[in-house]
Amino acid sequence: MRRFARLHPWWSVWIAIATLVLLYLTFAIWPPWLIGLIGKKKLFLNSLFNGITLGSLYFLIASGFTLIFGLMRNVNLAHGSLYMMGGYIGYLIGDWTGYWLLAFPVAFMVVGLFGVILQYFVFRRMEGEDIRQTLVTIGISIVLADIMLWAFGGDFYNISPPSWLSGPIETIFVTGVKRSSGDLIYLKYPLVRLAIFAASLAIGLGMWLAINRTRIGMLIRAGVDDRDILSASGIRVQFVFVAVFAFGAGLAGMAGVVGGTFQSIAPGEDIRFLLASLVVVIVGGMGSIPGAALGAVIIGIAEQFGSVYFPTYAVVVTFLIMVLVLAFRPTGLLGRN
Amino acid sequence: MRSGVQVSGRLSAAGASNALELRGVTKRFGALLALNDVSMTLRPGERRAVLGSNGAGKTTLFNCITGDFLPTAGEIRLYGEDITVFPPQERIRRGLRRTYQISLLFAGLSVLDNIYLACRGVLRRRFSMLRPGRNEPALLSAVDLVELAHLQEVRDSLVSHLSYGQQRQLEIAMALAGAPRLLLLDEPAAGLSPNERQALVEILQNLPEHIGYIIIEHDMDVALRVAEFVTMMHNGRVFKEGNPRELENDAEVQALYLGEVDG
Amino acid sequence: MAQVVTTETTPQSRSMFGRIPAAYWLFGAFLLVLPSFASNFVMYQIFGWSFILGMIALSLMFLAGYGGMFSLAQMTVAGLAGYVVAICGTSAITDISQNWPWYVNIPAALLIAAIFATVVGWLAVRTEGIYTIMITLAVASAFFYFTRQNYVLFNGFSGFNGVFPPQLFGVDWRHPVAFYYLSLFWAAFWYFAVLYVSRSPMGLALQGIRDNPRRMSALGFDVTAHRVAAYTFAAFPAAIGGILLTWQSAQISPGTAGVGPVIDILVIAVIGGLRHPVGPFVGAFVYVILKSFSIDILVALGLGGERFQLLIGLGFLVIVFWSPDGLLGLWAKLRDLHRRDPLIGRLVRRL
Repeated sequence: MRRFARLHPWWSVWIAIATLVLLYLTFAIWPPWLIGLIGKKKLFLNSLFNGITLGSLYFLIASGFTLIFGLMRNVNLAHGSLYMMGGYIGYLIGDWTGYWLLAFPVAFMVVGLFGVILQYFVFRRMEGEDIRQTLVTIGISIVLADIMLWAFGGDFYNISPPSWLSGPIETIFVTGVKRSSGDLIYLKYPLVRLAIFAASLAIGLGMWLAINRTRIGMLIRAGVDDRDILSASGIRVQFVFVAVFAFGAGLAGMAGVVGGTFQSIAPGEDIRFLLASLVVVIVGGMGSIPGAALGAVIIGIAEQFGSVYFPTYAVVVTFLIMVLVLAFRPTGLLGRN
Repeated sequence: MRSGVQVSGRLSAAGASNALELRGVTKRFGALLALNDVSMTLRPGERRAVLGSNGAGKTTLFNCITGDFLPTAGEIRLYGEDITVFPPQERIRRGLRRTYQISLLFAGLSVLDNIYLACRGVLRRRFSMLRPGRNEPALLSAVDLVELAHLQEVRDSLVSHLSYGQQRQLEIAMALAGAPRLLLLDEPAAGLSPNERQALVEILQNLPEHIGYIIIEHDMDVALRVAEFVTMMHNGRVFKEGNPRELENDAEVQALYLGEVDG
Repeated sequence: MAQVVTTETTPQSRSMFGRIPAAYWLFGAFLLVLPSFASNFVMYQIFGWSFILGMIALSLMFLAGYGGMFSLAQMTVAGLAGYVVAICGTSAITDISQNWPWYVNIPAALLIAAIFATVVGWLAVRTEGIYTIMITLAVASAFFYFTRQNYVLFNGFSGFNGVFPPQLFGVDWRHPVAFYYLSLFWAAFWYFAVLYVSRSPMGLALQGIRDNPRRMSALGFDVTAHRVAAYTFAAFPAAIGGILLTWQSAQISPGTAGVGPVIDILVIAVIGGLRHPVGPFVGAFVYVILKSFSIDILVALGLGGERFQLLIGLGFLVIVFWSPDGLLGLWAKLRDLHRRDPLIGRLVRRL
């Protein structure tokens, strides 16, 4: 951090100011002029939290995407289809067994297994041919989308969270003061979203630990930096590839359950989430997991604030961020040059 | 036009006596010091061999001269003009050419197209969407270079269908495109059969006198036959300089060079 | 000696007409006289649509086949040109459409499409190879969502209907015969233009950049500028295709350049083949035939009639797996089989 501050003094100042402003906006009781300027605090806090939780969903999807890309240079354009597949599987499991929690491991495993099959039977045969692999993933996404449309039709599917997770809880964040009694009003926020945020945080930390502290993580990091090192290390590269592809696919499948819970699963969602992970990864830096986290939070918040404060141009905000990053830092915020 | 005047103006100011001048060129990759304070001077038309073991910094030196890498410190002058921070294409326009250790040809194009592109690279109207006429200068000189490199038979074949030796010949023909004043040849003889080596030596010996070159070559025999002066590099530094005869008989050089090559 | 294949000719332009085989002349003549016997459906829906999609896919083929840049934004460029014609020209949405004459709104459409493509190109070429697909797909999707949300200029979800071609020279250009010749003219124009440019310094430089960007810059070419210029050039066939597409269906809406159509253009170009400008048209023809007759084909295969996407997706996968050069590649393989020298078993053409 000290090094960053030394290298980019202006950036550090801006980041510090932004953090302070954000902290003030989050914790202070807003004076009337501020409410006059940008509206109620409740609206602001809700969009902020929605943005962060949406970002955590994006992170779940994009981290697998970026890992697969970083290690195998495979732009997996079927990633959105894997997400949707996970969502439908989660719905079926929840529907049959009634256990919401069970949907996660099952979606993870089934979609992960599908990833193993893809990597082992398809991508292994065209290693090093980036463009061809990408074309194949496009073909797979077209086929999967149509098969899922065939099986599930055009309806919206909602995975309902268990009763102990439904409903809002009161948080510690103050939205205002009751004029009559002078009591503080606290923000109420859906518990399930908070749970999902916590889970993403845990998964993100787990991934970070796995990549920085374990042997296979070391190999993956080495492979992202220089793929020749991997083959020179004597380890079975294919094993690492299959493991990473399966893990990335499984994460996308699990994200599908999450998405199906706090939004819904329907045809077209695959493309929406593919686009989201593309933008997140482009903004954050291709192949970088911390980059995916940063990009996911930025895009999630931008989307939510966009839809609340400039409803017509919500997409433009997201897109502008991407264009700015591409123009000034083509490899993404945390990408390597 | 305007830039031409500027160039000649700067040339006369700096004195154009030397084709290439390196002063204290240093290149660092992280902790690795690939080039350490390398200085070197070439007269116009001079033919120089750079010898040294793998990792001595020869190819890095070429990359710094051509502008593929920017040196961490030091200065590079081409015919008196400071080109240290120029982008590669600006250096090409000033008469610098190179060949590559690994063939970097355009596999999907024909031999003539490859040379034609090399001839067009230094001319204007590179964005022209009009097909070249039969008598376009670049096309005519490309046809000449095909002959100079003995490639007439395969002129219209795709490069991906050429033999290895033919690809090296093509590589040199491409480096000769335009009006080169100084060539950088990176192991042109690597992987060639004895006959092909002989042909290469002849091509190099028959180059017009005003074209100087620096050649990186592991084959001492080839290097000493085509060079007037030899620079020996070791661990990123200039280790020894002299004419071929001196260096050939220098015990230190022999120990280092033969030892490293055999090892 | 076998005749020289067009992709392998030298920059020395030999007499262009002398080398064209008789079959090509016959095919050209067939296309010209087709309206004398074909039905309106065949002219308008099959051939007209194939020519249009072929032109848009041609712009992708130019970028991908010669430049190695797989831009998914070409359909977006086409859609933007269609939108500009609807916004500046005449449509049923009289609040927005400006009713400018054709000689203003068509050049405006081409210009805006070219500027847009140049900006997209500039963004996309800042990174290498594979990123291009990601960035252009993101741009294409952003355009789709933007047009769907924006009502001031793009009229949101419903877009524009009633966008008709001008009544130029007293001809109704939406009449099947007139539209057939119009689209045939532009398809042929851009086919020959791309073929011609591929042998020009610009086209050769682009192919050189595809094979080896580093070497091209070492030869004195500005790699980035050539790539961006290629995007600008490719905008024109795409834009004209987009305008014709808008006139053909008399409407343009966000779905015209949605993610599905964007991917379809890539599928068309890859199925046809990226090695030669005729590939996109072959691909477009196959796509249109499949789309028009998919119900019969699918029912014959024992599937539901609505599984067109499955059919096209599987076909695409088969091509990518077994013939990366598309149907053209398959054709060349079949032809080469007959050309092998019986003694040495090698291709006669190749030295």
